[in-house]
Amino acid sequence: MQGSSSFKIIIKHLFLIIFTLATLYPVMMVIRKSFSPGNTFQRSLNPIPEKVTLQHYEDVITKTDSSGRFLFFRQLLNSIVVALVTTIIGLFLASTAAYAFSRFRFAGRGIGLNMFLIVQMFPATLLMIPLYVIMDKLNLLNSIAGLVLVYSTTAIPFCVWMLKGYFDTIPREIEEAAWIDGATRFGMFWRVVLPLSKPALAVTALFSFMTAWNEYILAETFLNEETAYTLPVMLQHYVGSYSTSWGKFAAGSVMVSLPVMFIFYILQKNLVSGLTAGGVKG
Amino acid sequence: MSKNKNPFTFLMKTNFKSLPLFIVCLVILLIASLVVVLRVQKRTVQREIYHQGIKQILQINSAGTDNIKNKSVKKFFKLKAHNKYNDKLYNFEFIVGFDRSNPNQEFKGQLQGKKYSSLHDLAAQALAEKKAVMQLNRGNPPHTVISLPLEDNQVGIVVKNITTRTAPTPWLGIILIIMLAVAAFFLTPEPWKIIVTNSIGALGFGMLASGYRLAPHGSLLEILGNSPVGFTRGIFPPIWLITSLFFIGTGILYQRGKIDKLITTIKSNRIAYTYVLPAMLGMGLLVLLPFAIGLGLGFFNHCNGEFQFIGIDNFVDILSGGGTSLGNPLNFYFTLGVTLLWTLLNVFLHVSIGLSLALILKDPLLKMKSVYRVLLIIPWAMPNYITALMWKGMFQQQYGAINIILDNIGIGGISWFSTFWPAFMANVITNTWLGFPFMMVVSLGALQSIPSSLYEAAEVDGASKWQQFRNITLPLLRPALFPAIVLGSIWTFNMFNIIYLVSGGEPGGSTDILITEAYQWAFKRGERYGLAAAYAILIFVVLIIYTRITNKLTKAAEDM
Repeated sequence: MQGSSSFKIIIKHLFLIIFTLATLYPVMMVIRKSFSPGNTFQRSLNPIPEKVTLQHYEDVITKTDSSGRFLFFRQLLNSIVVALVTTIIGLFLASTAAYAFSRFRFAGRGIGLNMFLIVQMFPATLLMIPLYVIMDKLNLLNSIAGLVLVYSTTAIPFCVWMLKGYFDTIPREIEEAAWIDGATRFGMFWRVVLPLSKPALAVTALFSFMTAWNEYILAETFLNEETAYTLPVMLQHYVGSYSTSWGKFAAGSVMVSLPVMFIFYILQKNLVSGLTAGGVKG
Repeated sequence: MSKNKNPFTFLMKTNFKSLPLFIVCLVILLIASLVVVLRVQKRTVQREIYHQGIKQILQINSAGTDNIKNKSVKKFFKLKAHNKYNDKLYNFEFIVGFDRSNPNQEFKGQLQGKKYSSLHDLAAQALAEKKAVMQLNRGNPPHTVISLPLEDNQVGIVVKNITTRTAPTPWLGIILIIMLAVAAFFLTPEPWKIIVTNSIGALGFGMLASGYRLAPHGSLLEILGNSPVGFTRGIFPPIWLITSLFFIGTGILYQRGKIDKLITTIKSNRIAYTYVLPAMLGMGLLVLLPFAIGLGLGFFNHCNGEFQFIGIDNFVDILSGGGTSLGNPLNFYFTLGVTLLWTLLNVFLHVSIGLSLALILKDPLLKMKSVYRVLLIIPWAMPNYITALMWKGMFQQQYGAINIILDNIGIGGISWFSTFWPAFMANVITNTWLGFPFMMVVSLGALQSIPSSLYEAAEVDGASKWQQFRNITLPLLRPALFPAIVLGSIWTFNMFNIIYLVSGGEPGGSTDILITEAYQWAFKRGERYGLAAAYAILIFVVLIIYTRITNKLTKAAEDM
């Protein structure tokens, strides 16, 4: 009995190791490319670079525009600002709405919830034309503020559904106890419900952050100055129609992906509980 | 009411509860109409003057040439035109642009074999025959561009500095309509009061706003309205329709007591609404409004910057296959089939891989679980456009890792994007790589919530592993997995980045799914925004039907 189960464990480990390596192989190839000289692929399967160079990283970081301004740091700052502000606004909007949907029974609740679900189905790429016009009217084209607005609202529906599911699992009795102790409605929300839903909030934050950090099509459409670009737009231009600098693309990809990976790593424990508590209740 | 001798008795009978509503309606109506009237009239007058003016050109002065950007030559013309409608002379300034690729070519005006001595005669004729398209650019100053195809070259005539005169606001007409509406309000008996009033107001203001002349030229009514705006077509009738429907709608809602009810519910749920409001405002402006505009666009045709109302032609065009056979990649049903296959295959692979991994990782004796989990989540954490481009590199024919592996095994490399199935599978492989971690995480969470005592009991009863999986794991996983599957399939259905960046629809648009097909129509095949919007609406309808069905299924599963 003991022997067969340890044998099973070894098989499982073996399978997991092979599967994980296979999964990570493309990523390793990107990392390899980012450290190897030249801008095209080598005909090789080895994920470890033969010659290591930091040239691509240097090129990406020190790229300047025609008037000699460093682009990478400006674009990095843009991306950071956009992602952080989107996260904060998205969290605020989604948590208040989710709280109302979870705790109050009001006319329009069903319609509202359904709307948040249905909105997800409308292909976002095609909201682009009307959105462009609206942003133009609001004078928000080519500005970070416009992007923040769009991102935080597009992330809302998913976040509301997830948070609502989580809030539903928090017993109302806790709030009632707070109510008896003299807490206001907002106090109950702010001091009782929010601290109890940290896992779900973490996932919501992660989701908003990723939406903003990774989004490329809208950014590409709305922004037309190199200094206003976010990192994904910059990356895309390395392998766009005019150039295929795979080396620089790989180096850029590694730098863009690292922060997300890092945040994912920090929040991954919450991911399981935050996602499923919402999922179970639907 | 007619029996009352005292003319003021009707005031006593008026239901005053509805008066504030009526006033609010009227004020909204007035402001909305004024805005529309002023804007629309300005544009309309410019168009009108142009139409009129170009038919009666009095004088043309060539004012020299100029080299502008991109080395294309532009010629200035000055033009005096007589507008017969208001008996005034207008000064136009024309810039004639030549084809950039062929700057030395002299302009030769030719339309259906007939030569025209002046460009403007030609333009006028082309406009009259609808061979040319005119579009107003609201730059500063506003200018009009006429573009007409000539000997394969698109020639644009830019008309700028139009001496415009904003049409006078038809105050008399507005007052007349208000009077009519007020009269209707007081004279109509109660069940019909609001609806009749709103209808009159809506139709009247709508007509003004839409640029419909209230009366024939020169008649008393026209003088009353003082509206110089002629009968216009195009985008304005829909505005008229929308305003009318809005106010008639509010009338009907009021009629059925819905509005009063709405006000009371808003009052009683004040707190709830304040919590929802911020999210709703943002969604309303940046999701629902574009969504509504998108819905509307499906009924228009876009051509050279002008939107033309064409009813359901876009939908007929798409649903009838647009004259293509079923096997043609541009055929709607072909694309729909590809999309469904794509979604099914992906979701199946996501769930089966994700669930298997979760089941393996669940083993309490397994060490280093969190290491595997973190590593296996990486595909989800990677920005998906990077994933797509990375895999495109992997599938590259000469240097791509996959072909090298195939070569080494002895199968030989494949040209991945020149036939349908390999290209389709390349997309599926990429998206599977990207999507299984989500399902894995959801399954992991759901498995954690299944109490281990159930398995212990099953073990005691002598159930096999497979029986445990079938009878305990699967039923208990379903409530958590089902919403995730629905969400996952919606995401996959609309997974733009992967298709667009990996295969790009190659070969010949056959691997395009509905969303990328729509995008191609909008941005790659001549800005057919209307057709693209119609595609989007159809995508939306398909997904609505899909969620309806799954909702029924979940309900059925819960009842079981």
